[in-house]
Amino acid sequence: MEPSLSGVLGLMQLTDSALPTGAFSHSLGFETYMHAEQLEDRESFSAWLEMFVDQQLTHTDALAVRLVYAAEDFERVEDLDDLVTVQALPRQIREGGITMGGRLLSIGARSYPGEWVQRYEQGVVEERLHGHQATVWGVLARELGVPEDTAVASHVYATVISLTQNAVRGIPLGQNTGQAVIRDAQHWVGRAVAVSRDLVAQGIAEEVLGAVAPGLEIAQMNHERQRARLFMS
Amino acid sequence: MHGAGSAGARSSRIRSLAETEWTGQLRLGVAERDGRSYAARQFHEGALRVLRPHYLDHSGQVTYTVINPGGAYFGADAYLLDVVVERGASLALTTQSATKVYRTPQGPATQEMTVRLGPGSVLDYVPDQLIVYRGGSYIQRTRVDMDPTASLVLAEIVTPGWSPSGESFAYDELRMRTEVRVLPPDPAARPRRLVVDQLRIRPDAHGDLTGVGFMEGRSHTGQLLLADARLDDDLYERLTELVDASDTHSGITRAGAGEPYGVRCVCVRSLADSTEAVAALHRAVVDELHERWRGQAPLRLRKY
Repeated sequence: MEPSLSGVLGLMQLTDSALPTGAFSHSLGFETYMHAEQLEDRESFSAWLEMFVDQQLTHTDALAVRLVYAAEDFERVEDLDDLVTVQALPRQIREGGITMGGRLLSIGARSYPGEWVQRYEQGVVEERLHGHQATVWGVLARELGVPEDTAVASHVYATVISLTQNAVRGIPLGQNTGQAVIRDAQHWVGRAVAVSRDLVAQGIAEEVLGAVAPGLEIAQMNHERQRARLFMS
Repeated sequence: MHGAGSAGARSSRIRSLAETEWTGQLRLGVAERDGRSYAARQFHEGALRVLRPHYLDHSGQVTYTVINPGGAYFGADAYLLDVVVERGASLALTTQSATKVYRTPQGPATQEMTVRLGPGSVLDYVPDQLIVYRGGSYIQRTRVDMDPTASLVLAEIVTPGWSPSGESFAYDELRMRTEVRVLPPDPAARPRRLVVDQLRIRPDAHGDLTGVGFMEGRSHTGQLLLADARLDDDLYERLTELVDASDTHSGITRAGAGEPYGVRCVCVRSLADSTEAVAALHRAVVDELHERWRGQAPLRLRKY
């Protein structure tokens, strides 16, 4: 299924790294490694980012988007919003997902007010729903008519781009280095699409949703107590 | 916030548990009388049993030790532990020795554990470490439904497994999923999810399992999940000190979305070079909770 031009443009707007969701203030754990002087150049940041895509983005965000696409009713989306939120053990990751998701939802609901988007926003306003970024994006993309694989890829890729831009500022890396990392990351995004599709095909998407590597989770937890932080997570 | 699993998914899960032929099953119902907890109901079948109960201190908490007479889990084995701790009762549940999963060419070995905690009840689940052998796959699913006034400790230790050549991480797959829900004080309201804790290790699927982000050069992992309405900031601060003082590389965080029906959740995730390093941290945390909440002596599990 090809998306309509309006669907493509909507996707480009909502996954643009300039979209004011606050993504520029989240390292999602890499600042802990930075602080430990483990991320200092292109090689070390690339290795970290590849691990992050394979672990966190594949097993959390990508699966959540796919499960939203498979949802038969909005009650299922409500349950997925809860599931993807509670599986995020590190407090800053959970709160970051909700904060960025809330902003994405309010921008999305204003620009593309489909039925589920509006119900989602209503649920968040009433504090019945969390508004996690991955499930919010799943609903928006679905209502924009974006094909499922494209919806997964564009969300993972948008996260990769904002993390790399944050690394360019934070580590710091050169601008050209950042672009080279983003180009490399396209392979990992493709793998996230394929692996998450395979987990759905195996019927274990929901069961493994949130299975993130322990070292990464520990780093994300320890970020809460790190002094002199550049990032909120 | 609500969200307790779609009714369809839940009923199909219940049906599948009911229809499973268990390699071993253990059903334990613990109640309290005159300050002393005891097994009001006990049923075991196949390759799971419990040893005679112990009272390790004067708190009235009963300790049961699960044993597997077969010695290990084999391919396609399915085990069920069903635990109910009734109003005011207190149970420490442990194992006699490490849980071993041998090669599983017939399919993964699975353990399903369902727990229901009544008002004011306590469960300290502190099994020995898990060892998955070369060529083994293991899936563990734990589901806890707790009253908002209950107190829960779940502690798990995962080793790098065993292989004849001494190679670490020679097993095929390990999956552990724990979901905790809080039951509403008003039975007409819906249960709410507190937290989902996941661990999945597939040694062949990770480029460098020991490397950055995954094991960070360590061999053992630990998971400690605490759920209790009394996990306040002062206590959290103290637990943070215990984590920092331990011989592990660990993180601690406030997990769970919101505080469903007032229940708070704290999770500790650890990496270490030995079972004992993780076990020592878990013991330190359990002992702190025992002392603070119940004036209870340190948990000293006697295993011979």
